[in-house]
Amino acid sequence: MGKAVLIVDDSNTMRKIVSRSLRQAGIDFDQILEAGDGQEALDVLAANKVDVVLSDINMPNMTGLEFLKAKAEDDAIKDIPVVMISTETGADIIDEAKSYGAKGAIKKPFTPDLINETLGPLL
Amino acid sequence: MEFTKKIVETTEELFNTMIFLEVSADPPFAEGKQAIGCHVSAMIGLTGDFSAMLGIHCPETTGLAISGAMLGMEIEAIDADVKDALGEIANMLAGGLKERFAAEGLNLELAIPTAISGKSYTIASSTKNNRVIIPFNIEQGQFFVEMKYNLN
Repeated sequence: MGKAVLIVDDSNTMRKIVSRSLRQAGIDFDQILEAGDGQEALDVLAANKVDVVLSDINMPNMTGLEFLKAKAEDDAIKDIPVVMISTETGADIIDEAKSYGAKGAIKKPFTPDLINETLGPLL
Repeated sequence: MEFTKKIVETTEELFNTMIFLEVSADPPFAEGKQAIGCHVSAMIGLTGDFSAMLGIHCPETTGLAISGAMLGMEIEAIDADVKDALGEIANMLAGGLKERFAAEGLNLELAIPTAISGKSYTIASSTKNNRVIIPFNIEQGQFFVEMKYNLN
């Protein structure tokens, strides 16, 4: 069965850029799902089989950190790996994200190679 | 504080990693040249150890070229995608500057970017603020990165 990725970002443009970077990185997902904030991401995870999540941190309605917390409390989805993608990659915020289960962080701007290095071990 | 050097380095890094357009910087505008005419802009505030506003301002041709390259598609008119792309660029430029200033012990927080477009408008600011405007060149023309700042 093919693999699926969920891209979570309030910017439609950034979701397109991440999709393009996944293709440039040579990571072949059969399904690319999108969500505009943390709550939408939880809804998508509840309805679809997803192998990995790439999530922004600063989003309206439900931030990336709030999404991680909510996901960690749901046994059905808590083990799906999440990688944060954000301009906010200070040690404090990344440590907080990792304490809620994030598997890594990618700083914007990013290269396709960095996407590959970070996601490869999780797939 | 080397604002010009930091802006040039951050802009070149962004264009090399995510936009894939060759970019070169011209010297900053001389003091007193305050107005620039453009068709699409994005701006973001920074607050903390000093306060600042970073903006990227593009004539139509360069705005379309930059956003098209970033999205990997041809864009024919300034639309929501172009403004969204410019907003993301402003956000990433501010993030890069935040990191460079943090390395010198100056902490900043980013606000939310705002993008505007119009047929032609002029950017002006109070001469009480410090202001750096750097012209950048891509094949399709020039765009401008501006930083206004007040040292607290």
